[in-house]
Parts: sequence; structure tokens; C-alpha cells
Amino acid sequence: MSAFREGGHFPDGTTLGVGAALVALPFLLPSVTLASELVVFAVATLSCTFLLGLVGLLSFGQGLFFGLGAYVSGVLLREHGLGTLPAVAAAAGFSFLAAGLLAFLAVRRQGVYFVMLTLAFAQMGYFAMLALKDVTGGENGLTGVPRPPLLAGAGTLSGPEAVYAFLAGLAFAAYLLVQRIGCSPFGSVLRAIRQNEARAEALGYDTRRFKIAAFALAGLLAGLAGAMHTVFLGFVPPNAIELEMSERLIIMAIIGGAGAPAGAFVGAGFYVLMADWLSTLWPRWLMLIGVLLIAIVLFLREGVWGGAMLLLARLRRARRRG
Amino acid sequence: MSGQVLVFQVLNGLGIGMIYFLLSVGLTMIFGLMRFVNFAHGALYLVAAYVAYVVSLLTGSMLWALLVGPLASALLAVAAERLLLRRTYSMPHEAQILVTFAVALIVQEVVILLFDPLAKNVPVPDFLSGIVFLGPFVYPAYRLAVVAVSAAVALLLWLALERTRFGAILRAGSESTEMVSLLGINVHRVFLGAFALGGALAGLAGALAAPLRGVEPFMGLEALGIAFVVVVVGGIGSFTGALLGGLLIGVVQSVMSSFWPEGARLMIYGAMALVLLARPAGLMGRA
Amino acid sequence: MRRRTLLGAGAGLVAAPAVLRAQGTGGRLEVAGVYSLSGTFANVGDLLNKGTQMAFEHYGSATGLRINYTLLDDQGDPGRAVRRVQEAMGQGIRHIVGCTNSAIALAVAKEVHARGGIYIHMAGADEATGSDCNRASFRWPGASFTAINATLRPFIERNPNTKRWYTITGQYVFGESLLTNLKSVLQEAGHRHLGNSYHSLSEREYSGYITAAIAAQPDVLAICNFGNQTVDVLRQAVSFGMKRNVKIVVPWSTGLDQFQAWGADICEGVYFGVNYWHGVDSPGNRVVSQVVRQKTNGPTNYLQACGWAVAQMLVEGLNKAGTAEIPAVIRALEGLSYEGPTGTETIRAEDHQVIKDYYLMLGKARSAMRDPADFADVLAATKAFQPPERTGCRMA
Repeated sequence: MSAFREGGHFPDGTTLGVGAALVALPFLLPSVTLASELVVFAVATLSCTFLLGLVGLLSFGQGLFFGLGAYVSGVLLREHGLGTLPAVAAAAGFSFLAAGLLAFLAVRRQGVYFVMLTLAFAQMGYFAMLALKDVTGGENGLTGVPRPPLLAGAGTLSGPEAVYAFLAGLAFAAYLLVQRIGCSPFGSVLRAIRQNEARAEALGYDTRRFKIAAFALAGLLAGLAGAMHTVFLGFVPPNAIELEMSERLIIMAIIGGAGAPAGAFVGAGFYVLMADWLSTLWPRWLMLIGVLLIAIVLFLREGVWGGAMLLLARLRRARRRG
Repeated sequence: MSGQVLVFQVLNGLGIGMIYFLLSVGLTMIFGLMRFVNFAHGALYLVAAYVAYVVSLLTGSMLWALLVGPLASALLAVAAERLLLRRTYSMPHEAQILVTFAVALIVQEVVILLFDPLAKNVPVPDFLSGIVFLGPFVYPAYRLAVVAVSAAVALLLWLALERTRFGAILRAGSESTEMVSLLGINVHRVFLGAFALGGALAGLAGALAAPLRGVEPFMGLEALGIAFVVVVVGGIGSFTGALLGGLLIGVVQSVMSSFWPEGARLMIYGAMALVLLARPAGLMGRA
Repeated sequence: MRRRTLLGAGAGLVAAPAVLRAQGTGGRLEVAGVYSLSGTFANVGDLLNKGTQMAFEHYGSATGLRINYTLLDDQGDPGRAVRRVQEAMGQGIRHIVGCTNSAIALAVAKEVHARGGIYIHMAGADEATGSDCNRASFRWPGASFTAINATLRPFIERNPNTKRWYTITGQYVFGESLLTNLKSVLQEAGHRHLGNSYHSLSEREYSGYITAAIAAQPDVLAICNFGNQTVDVLRQAVSFGMKRNVKIVVPWSTGLDQFQAWGADICEGVYFGVNYWHGVDSPGNRVVSQVVRQKTNGPTNYLQACGWAVAQMLVEGLNKAGTAEIPAVIRALEGLSYEGPTGTETIRAEDHQVIKDYYLMLGKARSAMRDPADFADVLAATKAFQPPERTGCRMA
């Protein structure tokens, strides 16, 4: 069940589970808008989970591509009158290319150096946003982004339910993509790279190229999430590209568990709901998130999802024995 | 911009750079020695700054603040190492990054809880509140004192590294931890000592910087960013690297504020990326 | 068939409590405040919220309806602010106040306007009553045009011989607008703008910029930024001894809380422009100060006053309209004059900007302070606002 760690089948029970969860979410949560926020961040977290869980790359810079996707889609929607679907697609594509380009530089380093590179890129992205304030709106954000129909004339997004349906559809597509990759030959090479890069090289794989492809894909996912965020809110807040966003995504990825793409959904859900609920009780709730993070890293490496899977496996074993 | 001003910007940058050196030397030592990435380093800076605030509020004496602040940071570093961080030594870097990041988050929230999130002022000690004339330029007396104190500490630190047994172990350990333990030295105690020392130095930087910039809960984040840049540019594990890196970054920041002010921050991170890509060993580090 | 009714029933179950809440029970009006209690702006958000709370508690009710105030904590995140506003309005809340910063205000304003609510806030960005103005939103404080004109003009009047200016400006939208307004005032007055040093939004170290400023040998240094950056720049400028032969002007200051952060020694001799001062005696300010002193045993600072002001505006509008219906309240607010924290304040119909006094203050010596909050004297109180046709506001 730990799709990233061991591979698996596509589709499988988890696919069904995620699909069902997406359908049920707006009814389970107190509001549709909360469900939409959850779904947006699930896709953003998926970009971190994918990189960390499958390829073993910890990136503190996914917020950069999230912000890129958010701003590009915002500008396209506001200034160039694109339909929602083309704008989202273009933003995701742009982030894919940008991530691919940066990957050429980033994958030249491993481990801690890689992390620091992603940090540096994230910081530079934020400054670029502020410097280009005529385009991005600077510290005021990019407001007044319209929500036109999906394509010219068809598929109006009237009301929060329609928006949620659109976002959930995109999220499911993203999940399918990542799960499929996890079970594919491409995915197994990435897994091999995570486990032992030298060995993968020795086996004849150009690990650099694979890592670049993976980083670009992660950028695509983050950019897609950013565009979804813009469509959801109708504006682009400046913190979309701030370092805090990158940190938030990592937190969500770790809490959910990087072992499987479903972990991204669980982690995002956990964090978004905690933020929504805990913050009304105690403004310093981030402290608890910090403690939780430590507990997970020390005791429950595969996060909440991984823990759930472990429990399930144990129950199954017990049932088989008894 | 006249040559005189340029010269002064460079000198000013060196002054800023000394604080950056103090801030970063602990981080570089710990990483060089233990291959441990400490994302909580900024929190040590933060804690000492707030302790300095409280002490100066209670006693009105900067001297006490300079003693108690770094002590508090050292204690925090030791406590964290003992209780938490030593469990992560065998874990991959990612785990260390995440755990120390979480610690930094917790410290930050605790600070906001204890004090409010508003920035607080820490007064400069009276006898240092004037200005000093350096040729045609003025320079705050306090900043000059900070440079002097940092230089003195740097010298002491260098002497300690070169002339004492502990310093020799630290230097040897950063080349090969295995070798050090094979020599029968308690590696864990060395780690603890390094953590305490690194924490104290970051704390000293925080206490010294408090009257310059005030204290606010997010100053740890800023400090961490700078420390990383200095460590990378100077070379991981190198004392002289931290010194050169710190001074370089300080000078870049100061000079850029005349040429391309909004880019001053950008340049710093660009420099870090450049070094990481071109020469990850930094100026003085071993690859 | 069964599936559809089940889903329908489920949706109904979720919707029902929300509908009940919106109707309220017996003459209640739900009002929401959008402030940040965590995140980077928690300091600001907390005090603003307290100001609003105190005001609503004091007024109690408006147009016969008891005011029930709920806080929407956006955690400093404009995205979350918009989402919580969406949620609240989905539950029937139509009257929204407050913001912790301009990004949040601009985004919430659009959202509230799209959903037919009313929004009264305290953002500093010019766009709020300029290019981004809309019928649903009202803004209390004066923005960059007001700050510059109400500070510089009286300053120049009093100091006609200080003609050489240097500026340190934040290179972001708000800083730029302060600088643009400053340059046009200087040009009009025939003063010289010697040069400018930009700094970025997250800058903490200003020694380089201050050195450049000193080297230019100006008569006046103007600091064009906001928030903590203003505090840092002034503190560091004074530490470099700039006060000896340069006058320092801070057109955008939040007053008391910043004075307390600086301390009297730094404030002495410096000119400040503020949107509110607790020491100004006016009927409206007396009310505010009394309540705040009762609750906090201290003077009122800008944040509390702002929080109070937006709440008061809503109450005044409700009372004049005689109903909570949004179009009526909006119409009632346009052109309304009332006694606010800075005296008589009028809401301009064309752009929904409150026309109010903006103060020029001069920091006084520690020995001259009559009480621990008496940091500065008010030199001038001016209502300086751009004519509505120049603001770029096209009210739909």
C-alpha cells in the first residue's frame, strides 16, 4: 500500500478511496469552500510528496512553483481573457518548464546542498515577485481575477459547488497521474535513485535526466495547484510565493506521510482542518504542529497515512491468523 | 557615488559582516563536525536577543545581557541536543532538517506566547549611545563596539581552536569523526560541546544585534537565512570560511545598498545559489 | 433515485443550521471582523480586533438590532481571509469590518462586493479608494496622498529654509506612492529632491542607505515606508547621529505604539505624520479614550482607534439607514458626517473615503513629557485628500 516505497497496482483500492473521499468531502466538511481549499493544498502537497517519497528529494522550494502557477494563471485570466481551463493548463505548463530549467541547476547537488539550493531559489522567486510589482501587484497581491467559463462559452463556474467540482476533478487527475507514475517503469527508476543513486547509475541510468524530469513534474503539480488556488480565490495573495508557503507544503507532506500519494491528501486535509479549527481555540496552534512534526519524524516516519496503513496491515494479519 | 562613500560602505559592510560571522561560525562548525544541519540555529539567535531584552529591562545593564543571553542560547542548544537532536544523528539529513525546523517553529511560537508579537526596543547602553568621527564619516559608537567585541571573540575562538585540546578535537572531528572516536575520545561529549559553543556564539550575535534592530519573533528566520548563506559561501566546516564569508556577505549587502538597493537581498541568495552550483565547497571549505 | 435524495438530504442537513444562524433570533445582527491573530501580523491584528470589540460592546446595538460580533481569524493569509469571508457570507453574514493589511483588504473587498455585502476597513493602500474602489467598501484612514500632504505642507510652512531633501523609500507599492506624492509636493514648493535610496520589503539593515543619505548632505530626511521598517530606519538613522544637522520627517507613522518602540530620546525633534493621536480632544475621541482607558488602563493607540472607527462607521450607517439592508446602509454612509476618533469625519460618496484630520506631530524631549504617553505635540491637523476624479476610482 505504500505506493512510493514498493510500487503497487494502478488503479487499486486507494484510488477508489481517494475518489470517494473527494466526492464526499463537501458533505463531510462544514463548508464547500473549506473543501476547495483542502483540495488545492492536496495537489500542492502532492508535488512535495512525489519528490520526497519517490525520488528522495526534499525541496523547500515548491512554493516558488505554486506561486508561479498562481501568478501566471492570474495574469492570463485578468489581462488576456483566457478561459479558466486554458489558463490553468498554461500556468501548469509554465511551471513545468520553469521547474525543468531550474532542475538543470538544482540536481547537480545532492542532500543538504540540494535543499539549500531550493531554499535560495524560493527566496529569489519572492524578490522577483516584489520587483515585478507592476505585473504582480507587489505586496498588495493580484486582485480582480475573473472566473470565466472553462472554455470559450462552455462550463460556467457558477457558485462554490461548481468550483469545487472543477478543482476536485483536477485533483483526482493529479492523483491518478502520480499514482500511475509510482507504478510505472519510470517510477521504479526514480525509486531506485532514491534508494541508492550510485547503484542506479551503475545500472546504466542517466540519473540526472530522471531527476530533472521528476523535478519538472513536481513543478507542474505545484503550478497546477497554484492556478487552482487562483481560480478558487479570484486573486493571488503575495504569500503564495513566499518561503512560508514552501515550508507549509513540506509540513503537510510530512504529516500526511511521504510514502504514498494519498499521504499528500491526508496531510493537506489534516493541516487545513487543524488550521481552521485549532486557530479559533488557540492562536499559537503552530506550536502543536511543530510538536506533531517532531513526533512524526521520530516515531512515525511514514506520517499519518503510513501509520494508518501499518495499522491496517496489522489488523489484516491478525484476522488472517485468528 | 564618490570613492569616499564606497570606502565607507565597505568598512560598514565589514562591521555588519562581523556579526554575521559570529552568527554563522557555530552553524558551520556543527555541520562540519557532525554533518548535522541545524535549522534551529536562528532560534538560538532569537532566544538570546529576547533574553537580552528582558535583562536590559530588569537591570538596565548591557553587560549582563551579553553574558546571560549567550548562556541561555547555549543551554537551549544543549537541552535540544540531549533530549531531541541526538536521536536524529543516525537519520538521513532530511529528518534532521525537519526536526530542527520544527524546533525553530516551536521556539518562535513560545516567544510570541511569552511576549507579544510586536517588535520591542532594546536600548543601547548610555556610554555607547553617541557617535564616533572617522575622518569625514560618522559611525555609531555602539556599532564600533560590536565590531570590537566580535573581533575579540573571533580571536579568542581562533586561539581556542588552534591551541586547546578541545579545539584540536573539533578540527580533527570535522575532518573525520570516525578517526576521533577511534582515538578513544567521547564523540558525544565533543558534539555537545560544539553545540553549546555554537549556540553561545549565535546567542552572542543575537544579544549584540538586539539594540541595533530591536527584537521581534521572526528575527530568527532572517538570521537563519543569512547564516546559511554565509556557511555556504564560506565553506562548510571552516572557521576562516565563516569569517571570510560573513565579511563578504556584509560588504556585498552594504555596497549594494548604494548601487542596487532592492537587489541587496536578492544578491545574497543569488550568491549562495552561485556558490552551491559552481563551487559547493565554498571559499575555504573542503569538498 | 434513492442516491439523489440521500445526497439532497445530506446537503440540506448541512445547510439548515447555517440558514437558522443567518436569520438570527429576535433582532440580532451578525457582524464579522477579519483580523489576523497568528502569523506575521498577529501584533497588529490583535489590537485592531480589540478596538472593534470594544466599540461594538460599547454601542451594543444599532437600528434596534443587537450586534453579535464574530472574529474571522485569517492567520495573516489573504487566501484564508477570502475563504473565511466566503464561508461567513454563505452563512448569511453581510456586514464585515476590518483588515490587518492591504493585501487582505483588497481581496476581501472584491469578495464582499461580489456577494452583496458591506465592508469597512482600514487598509493603507491607495488602490482601496482608487483603482480598486467599489460600492461595497469604505476606508477609514487617509492613505499616501493624505499622509504626504498633511505632513509635508505644514512642515514646509514651518521650516521654509530646509530645501534639500533625501528620501529612504521601501521599494514596494506603498513606498512608491509615498515617494511619488512627496516628489510632487516638493516640486510645487520649489524644494530639491537630492536623491533616494530604495530598500526591499524584508530589509533590516539600513546602515548602507543611511550612509548614502548622509553623504548627500540634505536638510531633511524623509522616511517613506511602513510598519517595522519605519521603526528600524529611524532608529538606525538616529544612531548614526543624523539628527544633529538633518531634520527627519516620518510621514506615515502609527503614532503611539511606534513612539513606545522608539523611546523619547529617538522621537525628540523628529516630525511624524499620524492618522490618529489620543491627545486630541474631540467629542468622538473622548468616548473612545474613556472606554479604552476603562478596559486597558492606558491611552488609545492607532490600532485600537482604527478598530473602533470601522465599527463606529458601521453603527452610524445602520442607525441613519434605520435598517440593516445593505443598499440602504451604503446610501446612508455616503456623505454621512459623524463624530469620530479624530473629530468630525465625513464619508465621501464618490470614493467611500473618510475625510478626516491627519496630524503633523513633533517629538518632544523626555523632560517635557507630561505623562508616559506624551511623546509628541500636535502641530497641525489637516484634511488633505485628492479630489475624487484624480483617485482613479470608478464606482460601478
